[in-house]
Amino acid sequence: MAGTLIHGSRRRKIATALPFLAPGIILYVLFVAAPIVYSFAMSFFDWNLSNPFQSTWLGLANYRKALNDEVFRRAIVNTVAYSAVTVPSQIALGLGAALLLNHKVRGQPFFRVVYYLPVITNWVIVGVLFKYAFNGQAGLVNFLLRDVLHLIGSNVLWLGDPVLALVPVFLVEIWKGVGWCAVIYLAALQGVPANLMEAATVDGAGPVRRFFSVTLPMLGATTLFLVVVRTIGTLNGYVSNVVITNGGQPMDQTHFVLTLMYKVAFGSLQFGYGAAISYFLTVFIAIVSFVEMRVLQDRGSSI
Amino acid sequence: MNLHSHDAAQKSIVYVLLAVGAAISVFPFWYMLITSLKPQSYIFEIPPTLWPAQATFSNYVKALTRDNFGRYFVNSVGVAGSMTVLTLLCASLLAYAFARLEFPLRRLLFGLVVAGLMIPPVMLIIPQFLVARTLGILDSYAGLVLVYVAMNMPMQSFLLKGFFAGIPIDLEESAFMDGAGRWRVWAQLVMPLSRPALAVVTIFSFIYSLDEFAWAHVSIRTAARRTLPIAIAFFQTQHKTEWGIVFAASVVSLVPIVLLFVTFQRYFIEGITTTGLKG
Amino acid sequence: MKRFIPVSLVILALLLTASVVWASGSKETTPEPAGQKVTVTYWHTMSDPEAAQLNKVISAFEEENPNITIKPTKFAYDDFKTAILTAVAGGDVPDTARIDIIWVPEFADKGWLLRLDGNMAGFETLINRTFPGPRATARWKEHYYGLPQNTNTQVLLWNKERFDQAGIDGPPATIQEFAADARKLSNPGKEQYGYALGGTYFWAPAPIFYAMGGRIVSPDLTTADGYINGPESVRAFTLLTQLYKDGAISPNLLGGGIGTSDGHASGKYAMIIDGPWMVDIYADTYPDFNVHFAMIPKGPDGNTSSVVGGEDAVIFDGSTHKEAAKKWLAYLLSSDAQKTMAQVGVIPTLSELRGDPALPDYFDVFMQQLQTARARVAHPRWSDMDGAINNAFQRMLRGDQSPQAALDQAAKEIDKLLAE
Repeated sequence: MAGTLIHGSRRRKIATALPFLAPGIILYVLFVAAPIVYSFAMSFFDWNLSNPFQSTWLGLANYRKALNDEVFRRAIVNTVAYSAVTVPSQIALGLGAALLLNHKVRGQPFFRVVYYLPVITNWVIVGVLFKYAFNGQAGLVNFLLRDVLHLIGSNVLWLGDPVLALVPVFLVEIWKGVGWCAVIYLAALQGVPANLMEAATVDGAGPVRRFFSVTLPMLGATTLFLVVVRTIGTLNGYVSNVVITNGGQPMDQTHFVLTLMYKVAFGSLQFGYGAAISYFLTVFIAIVSFVEMRVLQDRGSSI
Repeated sequence: MNLHSHDAAQKSIVYVLLAVGAAISVFPFWYMLITSLKPQSYIFEIPPTLWPAQATFSNYVKALTRDNFGRYFVNSVGVAGSMTVLTLLCASLLAYAFARLEFPLRRLLFGLVVAGLMIPPVMLIIPQFLVARTLGILDSYAGLVLVYVAMNMPMQSFLLKGFFAGIPIDLEESAFMDGAGRWRVWAQLVMPLSRPALAVVTIFSFIYSLDEFAWAHVSIRTAARRTLPIAIAFFQTQHKTEWGIVFAASVVSLVPIVLLFVTFQRYFIEGITTTGLKG
Repeated sequence: MKRFIPVSLVILALLLTASVVWASGSKETTPEPAGQKVTVTYWHTMSDPEAAQLNKVISAFEEENPNITIKPTKFAYDDFKTAILTAVAGGDVPDTARIDIIWVPEFADKGWLLRLDGNMAGFETLINRTFPGPRATARWKEHYYGLPQNTNTQVLLWNKERFDQAGIDGPPATIQEFAADARKLSNPGKEQYGYALGGTYFWAPAPIFYAMGGRIVSPDLTTADGYINGPESVRAFTLLTQLYKDGAISPNLLGGGIGTSDGHASGKYAMIIDGPWMVDIYADTYPDFNVHFAMIPKGPDGNTSSVVGGEDAVIFDGSTHKEAAKKWLAYLLSSDAQKTMAQVGVIPTLSELRGDPALPDYFDVFMQQLQTARARVAHPRWSDMDGAINNAFQRMLRGDQSPQAALDQAAKEIDKLLAE
């Protein structure tokens, strides 16, 4: 429902808008936009850190190097898998939690706070906690699986396995994300018109039918929003990975694109290559977001 | 159809499920809390226990007394507070312009700002350092605050734009007809109506600032100006990590944000409802 | 007037920003003229006890040099390199720093460090007073770019209780005995192992590797083929892989298990190989545990060896106070300064201090080991080479490749890095 309040000459419009735009835009340009351009430029050079003007021009060589790099390819696979698994999970579980939190039960505000707690904790701390819980020899998870539930015969060395090491990383994301999605769905549920629900009940629809026919369609825009935002967020994830896998261990097979970028740039001092890796990711994110928005567009949205 | 027993049964199921979910949400905190109460020799005990056999506060004592922890805590909270205030101001001005004002390239500009959400922040550290150095704000709280505000701008202006756009325009139009200027409309009409959305921005900004590590580590050199995440990282020295102390420090560092959230949570949910996040 | 309120809010915000900027002060970058008071910055990642001792060293230095003030800054160990790299990129480097020996060739190759030989009065004398292993870490392309400030090496730690229980009367003197003891002391079912490594990065197997005559590259740093995959190297890795397969080495080395220090003190790992910091660590976390040190067992040719770690003190080429910085570095290598830092477990690099009564007792075994300890490869691409060896070790432990094949692959990867 955006309306405009300024009518008149173009000059007048700019003069009016300028003071509103200036503080935010200036800060953004100085500290975000300009750095983005700078680091994008870095990706085309063999970047010389101390004397940037002596950097060697490489054209697209850094990008080509990434495509030929086995470790990078594996990192892409890991990152995409991470997103593909954790986004639907947290959205589905978040919706479930929101439905529960929508019921008028005793202590509703308390539950709402508790469900949101994972969101406000620090990635590093949670990562460390999960790493500790998944310790191969004295961790809580193995203890539960082997000694309490008897689901496995012997200890699983989670963090020593190139695939299993990512399990705690995935779980951290889902655990943290459910609360965020739940709160957003909860807000959206407030907007489901009561009379529609009543009409459905009167028509004899049970709770499940009511959910699918009345509630779910109304949540279309919210779901689109969550899918796009969480996809961007997960593709950009790296902190819990670094903490849990120690930077791609074992054997550089548990990298996400950004953890690899960090290692290549700040570890091996190849800043041009690191920049190229990060822009590969950015382009990928832009494409994926665009596709998601197009595909889910028919459910309606206003962005 | 016995509505009452139906209702009661449904309610109990809901309650049970809620409790299970709550337990899962809280469990890691519980684990962190009890580990922080264990002496180091028990941290890798087999089998791991969910209750400390020998509870001790020594980890907390060490965490709080080592190396100026209190000062770093205050620094973090101070920076987070300033940054939040500045964000509230800049982002709401920006969002209002996008929501209500007409000017050339409005859509493009908004797109560019929101596109900033997609960029991984890690790679920006080096050019940000260069800019900060040129402006002379390295090794200063200003350097932290300004960069944080800038990094947070995309998300918060996006949120607020959605919210402002949802306020019935008649309210503002009638204020105009009464002779109020644009600034007054913004400051005295729109902003007070936006308390829920501002609560959301406050919480998000605070979380961002309290947790940020990379920029704080790289731009601050004076020990007395260090922030909390750095302090916690200091407990991981080259040759050992004292998990008990790390967790104790983490528990302590969670207190401000939990308090803040509990205080604002009512506004927060309301705010999410109306910031247009849901569509 | 009501109109002014919103406007004044905006002005207030701008003033707030401006005052914050002003109050924080600006960074001073102009160098002072000679003869006046000079501040030398010194970056490090010392622990709290070390930093406290450092302050004593600084006071003593400042007393002798009233025109120089030393300004130390502590950084978190994990992200120190990032902080330095960002400073280099920003043209805002410290004057001096205590950096990991691994980074010296890397930074020197990029031209970021001041060359010290031929550039610093008394350098030759100073460098020749240090142990040979640490000395080699500061060298790149025939020149020196740092002074070894502190060093360390790894020795054998053995849990006397476990040894007594198993009826073994002392630590192993040879690698053969070591392997036999490791097997005897293992009981995987009870989560007990004879030996444990901290991980598969080269630092962990290095002492045994070097004791058994292993080498990574040719002395002139041109090739790894025939060295990392040479017979001695393969023999060393084969031994470790075999011990692992036989259940004598804890699986924690693959990742995510109980750490060596906790495991050793709690009796799960009868032997580990680690450094002098264990004394302070155990005093703090396992005060009832008695730690026992021994030299690294002798290899087939009858010699012991180990690996050298530590930090070098360097001067950045971008420093504007090079003369004062040189004085500071020289003082850090004085026997006074070295003895002061030794009080908190920092091993001096001056070989003449060996056996000095001012040093803690447990230093003896380390300083003796230092006589035969070897530096790793002093090359800018060492961390990637370490990665190659790390991955090779992982592959052979998992049975993906035989030790020879895994090391052949590592040799190829390292050769590529040497050629760059």
